[in-house]
Amino acid sequence: MSDDFTHRVLPYDGVEEFLGGAVPFLRDGLDTGDRVLAVCGTAQQMLLRDALGPDAGAVLFRDAATWYRHPSRTLADCLGDADESSRQGRRLRMLGEPAWASRPPLEVVEWERAEALLNIAIRGTGAAVLCPYAASLPAGVVAAARKTHPETVRGTRTLRNPGFVDPWTFCARCDADPLPPPPSGADTLTLDAHPDLFWLRAWVTDCARPTPLPEEGRQRLLVAVTEVVTNALRHGAPPVVLRMWTDAAGREPALLCEVADAGRWPPGTGYGLLPPRPADGPAGGRFGLWAVRLLCSTVQIRTGEEGTAVRLRLALPRPDLAAIDGG
Amino acid sequence: METPWFAKRPVSAVRPGDHGWLAYTGPAERDRVIGPFLREGLLTDEKVVYVTDLPAERLPGLDPAAGPGIDIAEAVRAGKLRVISQRDACLDRGGTFAPAMMLDTIGREVDEAFGQGYRAVRFTTDYSGLLREAGSDLGRMLGCENRVGDTVSPSTMAMAICQIDRRACPPDQLTALRDTHEVLVEVNPEFDDGVLKIVRTFEPAGLRIEGELDAARHTVLAETLMQVGAQRGSVHLDLSRLGFIDLGGLNLLARHAVRLPADGSLVLDHLRPNVENLITTVGWHRLPGIARGAGRGLPETEDFT
Repeated sequence: MSDDFTHRVLPYDGVEEFLGGAVPFLRDGLDTGDRVLAVCGTAQQMLLRDALGPDAGAVLFRDAATWYRHPSRTLADCLGDADESSRQGRRLRMLGEPAWASRPPLEVVEWERAEALLNIAIRGTGAAVLCPYAASLPAGVVAAARKTHPETVRGTRTLRNPGFVDPWTFCARCDADPLPPPPSGADTLTLDAHPDLFWLRAWVTDCARPTPLPEEGRQRLLVAVTEVVTNALRHGAPPVVLRMWTDAAGREPALLCEVADAGRWPPGTGYGLLPPRPADGPAGGRFGLWAVRLLCSTVQIRTGEEGTAVRLRLALPRPDLAAIDGG
Repeated sequence: METPWFAKRPVSAVRPGDHGWLAYTGPAERDRVIGPFLREGLLTDEKVVYVTDLPAERLPGLDPAAGPGIDIAEAVRAGKLRVISQRDACLDRGGTFAPAMMLDTIGREVDEAFGQGYRAVRFTTDYSGLLREAGSDLGRMLGCENRVGDTVSPSTMAMAICQIDRRACPPDQLTALRDTHEVLVEVNPEFDDGVLKIVRTFEPAGLRIEGELDAARHTVLAETLMQVGAQRGSVHLDLSRLGFIDLGGLNLLARHAVRLPADGSLVLDHLRPNVENLITTVGWHRLPGIARGAGRGLPETEDFT
């Protein structure tokens, strides 16, 4: 494996195995003068502080629930941190345990994808990332971890991960299943060849109005839709069709907006999955689709023989939580 | 504070009955307002009356470089352009500013123009010199302006622009004088298609971008920015009325910012929350050369509508 970064999984069953892998990892970092970051839940933090003793003061602890809030934003923050550390002549050493429990399946896929992409994003930064995975996690999550981490830590040994999958291949597999079709009652707008996007935004605003999407979310949606439609008109093939609907099923109600066209994206497009690097320069570092991912809760893209669909998902306030807030 | 009720109009939208106010920051801004005001009168069926001690051929904004040539001497000879000295228009025998004379002048010129069959009369004068000489006699000036307003506003023929150099008097006096006008006159927009409007600003030098910016209008903004960029130092963008900017627009600003001289930056003033949130999401650090400027939302200037 490339030695300019490491990204390892630490499968553990119980406190002993957790500390057995995590503590030496953090200690090594402190000894070498790395920027040492531990992102985990409260219980793990207490365990680590206890085990590290006075050294714990040199570790930056971050709460996992806050840190792992949004896959694309977290990836960008993590990369920013790694870049910043390397600019200061240090390396980032991060222990990161995403809060996997309580995530809806759609989001789990995006977090798994983020784990895969990290292998590309942190290349050349010298960063070392160790991800503890509890044995109690769903089997699928642990299985995916073996595909997204080049190496596994077992006690004091590091083993090559035979199941590791090339990150782009992994991403393609994440998007292998077709999207469920939009409901027949979805609001639909077919664009002509040279639409004024001003009117498109008015239409989107009208469709969003009956939903509880807050003003700030509406602004994010308008920027995201404008970008995706601009791309479809410029690089896709007509007709470009917009559909909007709400998905109230499941625990995460959302407003969905899909932009479909008859074109097919060329291979190696990147799908805006990685943040533009400062080295790309302001012209090369266009933040189009990548920014769309930051603006939306989830972005799903399918492109193939039948055309291309970009589905934007914006989480809506949960009525049950709103009732609690309001009460 | 009372809510002001000014109408703000680009100079080409000034119409009969408008008693307009132009507080300019320098000759560049003045010429871009007064030039079109004079030209549009001279090129149509209207009469132009300028109270000034300047000779006709040196009136602001009329040099051939600023637009199609106008035969000024011919316009004066035909009585279409009246250049009246201050002494003749509004100074008493002792050389003191006499508001009553100014009103007489306006009344006389309107009557005459009506008799001559002109459709409208455009008045303008620059009060800066008078104000400096009159010293602290602001009351006299305010009285005059109120009465000019009373004369012009009900008129179906007369329109006036009162010019003043912003540096000619303290800000409170400037505000008091401004408040005797109903119309704030500004430069014509560089671009306005009903969705996006781009207006040149002078202090600080830059542009005010209003409305919505997306791919259909990137080119026009890029071109306008290039013209402003020819000046030195930082360029300010007043975004207080920008309701939407797309990611391509943000890329455009970023590309322009890095082309500015090393000591200059592209300063975004009066950011609205939607635009600020978008930049925060993308990250200010990804936009080198772009700086956050003064204030949030609508600026505390005379720009009320």
